[in-house]
Amino acid sequence: MAGEVKVVDLVKRFGDVTAVDGINLNMPSGEFFSMLGPSGCGKTTTLRMIAGFEQPTEGQILLDGDDMAFTPPHKRNVNTVFQSYALFPHLSVYDNVAFGLKRQKRPKSEIRERVGEALELVQLRGLEKRKPAQMSGGQQQRVALARALVLKPAVLLLDEPLGALDAKLRKQLQIELKALQQQVGITFVYVTHDQEEALTMSDRIAVMSEGRVEQVGPPQEVYEEPTTTFVADFLGVSNLMTAQAHGGSNGRCRVTVGEFELYAAQGDTATTGDTKIVIRPERVHLEPHDSSGENRVPGMVERVVYLGNANQIITGLANGDKIQALVQNTGQELTYKQGDPVRVYMPADALRVLTDTGTAPIDENAVPGIPSPAAREPLAGEGSPNVSV
Amino acid sequence: MSQAVATGRTTTQDFSTWRRLRGWITNPWGKPRFLVVVTWTYIVWSIAPVLVAIQFSFNNSRSLTVWNGFTTKWYTSTSPDINSVFHDPGLRGALQQSMKLAFLDVVIATPIGVLLAIGLARWRGRGSGGANFLMLFPLVTPEIVMGVSLLLLFSHLLTAVPFGTPAQVLGHVTFSISYVVVIVRGRLFSIGRSYEEAAADLGASPPVALYRVLLPLLLPAIVASAAIVFAISIDDFVISQWLSNGANTTTVPMTIYNATRATPQPSTDGIATVIMVITLAAVIAGVLVFRFFTRGEHGRGSAIDDVAGFGI
Repeated sequence: MAGEVKVVDLVKRFGDVTAVDGINLNMPSGEFFSMLGPSGCGKTTTLRMIAGFEQPTEGQILLDGDDMAFTPPHKRNVNTVFQSYALFPHLSVYDNVAFGLKRQKRPKSEIRERVGEALELVQLRGLEKRKPAQMSGGQQQRVALARALVLKPAVLLLDEPLGALDAKLRKQLQIELKALQQQVGITFVYVTHDQEEALTMSDRIAVMSEGRVEQVGPPQEVYEEPTTTFVADFLGVSNLMTAQAHGGSNGRCRVTVGEFELYAAQGDTATTGDTKIVIRPERVHLEPHDSSGENRVPGMVERVVYLGNANQIITGLANGDKIQALVQNTGQELTYKQGDPVRVYMPADALRVLTDTGTAPIDENAVPGIPSPAAREPLAGEGSPNVSV
Repeated sequence: MSQAVATGRTTTQDFSTWRRLRGWITNPWGKPRFLVVVTWTYIVWSIAPVLVAIQFSFNNSRSLTVWNGFTTKWYTSTSPDINSVFHDPGLRGALQQSMKLAFLDVVIATPIGVLLAIGLARWRGRGSGGANFLMLFPLVTPEIVMGVSLLLLFSHLLTAVPFGTPAQVLGHVTFSISYVVVIVRGRLFSIGRSYEEAAADLGASPPVALYRVLLPLLLPAIVASAAIVFAISIDDFVISQWLSNGANTTTVPMTIYNATRATPQPSTDGIATVIMVITLAAVIAGVLVFRFFTRGEHGRGSAIDDVAGFGI
């Protein structure tokens, strides 16, 4: 089946800077594959190498088994949706979409038919004569999609295609894009820094950091079972604690965090020594301060943040760690307020021992618990569009 | 409420005239009146003499200082006593020579400049920085220096190039190319590489991408730079003078210079007016074409700023 992309030991250096540091990825045919990571993690550079705009320093890019390293971009059976859309401003919507077909010297009647179909697919029928400047951001995005899809590529590459749109439109297009991918059935390689986008649309996600792949897996797996500190911290909100592991029995690892003893039943439970443990805020329970039992740690409510659909409660533990709990808004009044002593219950089956003990991305400005803005990249139009990451 | 307003009024009345005047000029919320005054002073200062010259080209006497009524005879008269712009062989020849040089300059310098600009903008790596800088050299070299060096070049080394039109065209092209390069390169930087990449992505080979995408996008800058090349060529005195070979390759600026040193006449003002109108028309046409092709491109006007910056 056509449309399988394999990336083998891929390296890209720009002078002294290593943008992509030996990555291996396998994107089977028809998969919605996302590369997720912060600015500068190498995801866009990888995509640009697949498209042919950059030459790999080392390694191979295989499309259906053929090495494409020496195939120029105009001869590759892949098409790109650019972050800035790059619609030709001097051409109408029709001519933009027909551009690729004209290069293939297709007969006029076929071009007309296929452009019509492509515009139908992205719901832009009737706007053929408009110039890109006369369209909204969302419409331009659809033209860019139609222009790439009309050529029926084996693989569609998307470089933060929703980055320049506002939040509501972005949500809507996420759903449409996923539906479109299932409809056309081709491989989508999607680059984004937005974890929500990656989680909602992808079949599999590669979380990248500093030119390396940290973890690859289905959305649920990378979210629920992060293997590295980076992934745990980058995807969603995590409570990370430095801990001492003392090995495990029965699939449970005994760890000490400061003076407290906890049991963790997830992750690398056989490990010993310095490690990190992580728990998602929605799995943390707050109980009255006089309750007892395993994995219950005394703390004090430091802050309550109202989020609308939930309340975020940040508690400080005696050793200085801050643990964030997410309490769904069920209409009942919160039991705890700032300054209240509580027991923080972290169930063993929600506590995960991480494999690596690397440092989490530094984000000094982030308020503890509020989704980290470190992952935000400038939108299209801000900063230089030529800086590839 | 009303009391507060009343208090405010009283305070205002306490201002002395001097303070109010100062407030009128330095009011941070008001218009920058001081700068407006400076601007208009400069505009009047620079334009008034030109307007006077234009006025006296229509003077019904030989005087350039005393107004004797309106006439167009200094432009159109066929009388042998009057060396009118369109019929005196010397003036007519100068006008033709200037137009010829400007036309050839545009036709030769523009395409070469466009290719150099594309090459320089897309050339990354060793030597590109130096080449980019050296391209600006003709812009900062004093024209007299360039004129002398070209004179020496054509009289000692490239003796195959005769003085007169061929040498003059080569001289004009030499310094015009830089203007084209600077304007077109500015446009190239502002449009970025993504359109070329998109074209390649959609199956266009590099020549096709150049022809179908890059050139149409560069068209406004190309037209604007052609207009500016035309304007600076028709204006040029120093290089035309150094590289001419006598009366039949005299250009308008040279004629005006010689005539003014000998006996200035209204027809001298007349030919100056003609050349100014032509130059102005070329530049306005260039800017209009530029505007037309870049309409709807919001917030990326750096290329038009380039043109404005180099607008003669």
